[in-house]
Amino acid sequence: MGGTLTSIYNNTSFSLYLNSKAMSKLQEQASTGSKINRASDNPSAAYQILGLNSQKRSLDNYMSTISDASGILEMSTTIIGSMSDEISAIKVSLNQILSGTYDEDGRERLANQVNDALEQMVSLANTKHSGKYIFGGTDTVNSPYEVERTGSDITSVTYQGSYEERYIEVAPGVTSNAYHVGDELFRTDNRGTPVFVGDTGAVGGTGTSSIKGNAWLEVTHDGTDYNLSIGGATVDLGTVADLSNVAVKNANGEVLYVDARNISSTGTEMVSVPGTYDIFNVLISVRDLLLNEQDLTTTQLNECRKKLSDSLDEVNSLLLSKETSIGSKIGFIEDLKNTLENIKFNTEDEATLLQEADIAEIAIDLARREALYQLTLSVAGRLMSMTLLDFIE
Amino acid sequence: MADYNIGLSGLGAIQKAFDVIGNNIANAATDGYHRQRVELSPAYFTQHGSVLIGGGVEVTDIRRVIDNLLEQEIYRQQSQLGQLAQETNTLRTIENAFGDFSTEDGGLNAAIDKFFTSLQDIQAGSSDTIMQNQLVSDANIMASQFRSLGEYITALESQLRLEADNTAETINTLVNQVAEFNSKIESVVMVDGNANAMQDQRDHAISQLSELIGVQTINRENGVVDVTAGGIPLVVGASASSIEIGITSKAELGIAVKGSSSYSTDIQGGKLAGLLSLKNEILSGIHNDLDTLAATIVQKINQSHVQGVGTAGAFTELTGWTNATEELADFENITAGYTYIRVIDTSNGSVVRTAIPVMQGASSDTLSEIADYITNNVSHVTATVNSSNQLTITAASGYEYDFLPAPLSEPKTADINFNGTNDPDVGISGIYTGSANDKLTFTVSGTGEIGVDNDLHLIVRDSAMNLIDTINIGQGYAAPSTITVKGTGIKIELSTGDLVHGDSFSIDVFANTDTSGLLAATGINTLFSGNSAINMNVCNDIMDNPARVATSLGADMNDNANVEKMFNLREEAFTELEGMTFGDYYRQIVADIGQDLSVKQLSKDNIEVLVLNLNNQQSEISGVDINEESANLLIYQQMFQAMAKYMSTISTMLDSVMEIL
Repeated sequence: MGGTLTSIYNNTSFSLYLNSKAMSKLQEQASTGSKINRASDNPSAAYQILGLNSQKRSLDNYMSTISDASGILEMSTTIIGSMSDEISAIKVSLNQILSGTYDEDGRERLANQVNDALEQMVSLANTKHSGKYIFGGTDTVNSPYEVERTGSDITSVTYQGSYEERYIEVAPGVTSNAYHVGDELFRTDNRGTPVFVGDTGAVGGTGTSSIKGNAWLEVTHDGTDYNLSIGGATVDLGTVADLSNVAVKNANGEVLYVDARNISSTGTEMVSVPGTYDIFNVLISVRDLLLNEQDLTTTQLNECRKKLSDSLDEVNSLLLSKETSIGSKIGFIEDLKNTLENIKFNTEDEATLLQEADIAEIAIDLARREALYQLTLSVAGRLMSMTLLDFIE
Repeated sequence: MADYNIGLSGLGAIQKAFDVIGNNIANAATDGYHRQRVELSPAYFTQHGSVLIGGGVEVTDIRRVIDNLLEQEIYRQQSQLGQLAQETNTLRTIENAFGDFSTEDGGLNAAIDKFFTSLQDIQAGSSDTIMQNQLVSDANIMASQFRSLGEYITALESQLRLEADNTAETINTLVNQVAEFNSKIESVVMVDGNANAMQDQRDHAISQLSELIGVQTINRENGVVDVTAGGIPLVVGASASSIEIGITSKAELGIAVKGSSSYSTDIQGGKLAGLLSLKNEILSGIHNDLDTLAATIVQKINQSHVQGVGTAGAFTELTGWTNATEELADFENITAGYTYIRVIDTSNGSVVRTAIPVMQGASSDTLSEIADYITNNVSHVTATVNSSNQLTITAASGYEYDFLPAPLSEPKTADINFNGTNDPDVGISGIYTGSANDKLTFTVSGTGEIGVDNDLHLIVRDSAMNLIDTINIGQGYAAPSTITVKGTGIKIELSTGDLVHGDSFSIDVFANTDTSGLLAATGINTLFSGNSAINMNVCNDIMDNPARVATSLGADMNDNANVEKMFNLREEAFTELEGMTFGDYYRQIVADIGQDLSVKQLSKDNIEVLVLNLNNQQSEISGVDINEESANLLIYQQMFQAMAKYMSTISTMLDSVMEIL
């Protein structure tokens, strides 16, 4: 017996419930613009969307890291470029001195100019970016270069920073060092054989010396034997068994091997170790030689100045190569940033495709559900209105 | 006067039929009402010879129109629907609580991402106070999200228990009603009375019961129905058994006959089964998964964190968290191993490392024994354990300690075997990059002066005697320049001096200074505290001083190696998380909830349609159709008119006979 009051009511209310539930869902999708508003809407898509959102956040952060790293590296290349320009200018002036263009006053003026350049370079080497030293390796808190002065003049510049580079992950599995080790940037690392400039008769020994840059070997005589010193303990050659390879240490424990067999006079030898120069101590040497602090003979002075000119060439080419190297690093991470941007775009696109609601489809579906809702009400009204009771008198 | 009797029987039957029709129409919208039918049969009055003369009509029964099999199927499907409705409703609220789709950067997924993003940021500036604060803040937000979800689920579990108790009470009330009706129905039916209305009321109570618990019904004689649920006889005739909710030996929620304490979880169907499955399986599964994720994040991050130091440097005093026991065997994540402590003399920077044995024998099995060992064997450091089983390690004045894996700056005297005339000094630095603690042995090949003689090398081997590297220390080596040992991250430097073939020195290198897990398990130098979602927190020491975030592993304490190590955990798959990463595991939890809800919602939708169809079928059989009742009304009206006419005719006939007399 179809058409009982209860079944008409059940069918009507169930249809209304289904249609209003569907319309409510469509309304939610239309108002949020998203067809996935909770995981149960499409669990597998929801899993993917959450993963893509995480990936997007990660990519955003990588790009932000790259921007920071790029800023530090840009600053580094600018500083290195400035240093290189300064070294080139000093080199030109030194060549003019070597060619006899300047008189004594001119050499003093140039010495002052070199001193100013030295001050500026130390200051540049202690540059901070966002409150952090950029040339101290992993130690970004303490200034990487410390100076010792006699009066107002810098007499030595020592690297105090870390020898560990601070690597930053700039893309998944890709790291880049934004904070460089200053001692590796501003010092050449291609140790050559020490060159002795002087007339004491001392030459390099067979051992591998560890002193860096330029050093002054003092050859003295104690009345019996020659003594050697480079600022550390004095070596009495009378106590040395093998004069062909005498180890002389400086205050830092670095060693210079000297073949002392042919030493025939006292005096000062300038010892240059090519491939180990750092820009600061080269400039100190240049300044001191311009002022002839060691009281060298003119011949020796000119020899030393020529050597220092070579040192300047060496540190300048070091700076240029570092500038190029960091420049290419900037290029690399900028390319990386572009790649990450593309990946991010694709990630967002993929997430949007999964999540974005089709408004036209929603509108059509909504109209269909609305029609069904009205139809349900209409049919229920019609069924309820037809009754035999109307015909009973 | 048989004619009158026939007329009277007809009129009487018609009146009863009118009553039934009226009653049917009156109950057309009554829940649980089954339409009734008057059963008429001819009455036999007299026998004339072999002929039986009819005596009119008699009402043999007023019958409920009911299909018992259909009713039982409705009960069954209603039970299923009741269970699914409860499960979907609760799962929907859980899904909303996770809230990963409510806002773009909302939910725990984003919070976990942000924590690791901060770890990535701090790689660039471990000394940056703003970044340290940001990391601590993001760690705290992540912990808060875990706590908030943990608290929500715990509260929901309590609520489910209460709801189960209330449902059991309602079931007991309905069960008593059914039993009471059974009793009344039986007594009425036994004296051939009409118990239709009571049967409808009783069946309606059973129908309500079926929404709360899956029931099976057995129809017995005299209209009595027995009801059982999950093997428990709820109603047997006129007697009822009450149920109660309790906890099983497996700490699950179950039901039992009141007072029996033998709780069963094997209940199928109905709201109560939904509550039980939510509490015992669904919610407890989600709770376990969330706790596993929280505990794994805490443990893995802490395992790295405990070994490092922040920009605040080494420690003078650290106190761990409270523990339920001091027996190390009872700690979940402590195994037999060692914890290596470095003690630094702040006056000269000299460092001494000591291995603390953990569960390596009878004297290292409790926190107190570990504390005693530290006090007795680690110079200038004392350790205590209080009544709450908190371990405190304190350095003497002028000393600090840490657990850094950085190698000591020079080999221990006992590990040096030099036989030349002028022994060189050996310096060690760097951060070991290997995956397990090891001892590297450097053996001299050749005899001569460092930096001077040809063919003077160091052969580096690990403890398994695998060749790691061969290093030239003869001519070409500028002593004491730094040499990196290939593939280890360890750097050595030798001063000038001479060595003899076969001379050697060895150094301990550390990938993990807490192989026992003691520090991470007791809260010494940890970033997070807690072992589940509800108690996950950032440690107070870190909250108070973000410079304590252990970013460095190197002896200089300014590197970012530890932060890199912690950040790399983001992409690491863990067996504790079924081979997934933190992010994937969480996303899986969310997707599983969605999947569960989606499947249950689909089942619920199907069963709703099924129940609708069954109800319609029931309505077709047992429901009141006004038109049908109206048609019957017309038939009985006509019968009544005809019967009255018949009586009138009989009366006229009798009058005519009386006139003859």
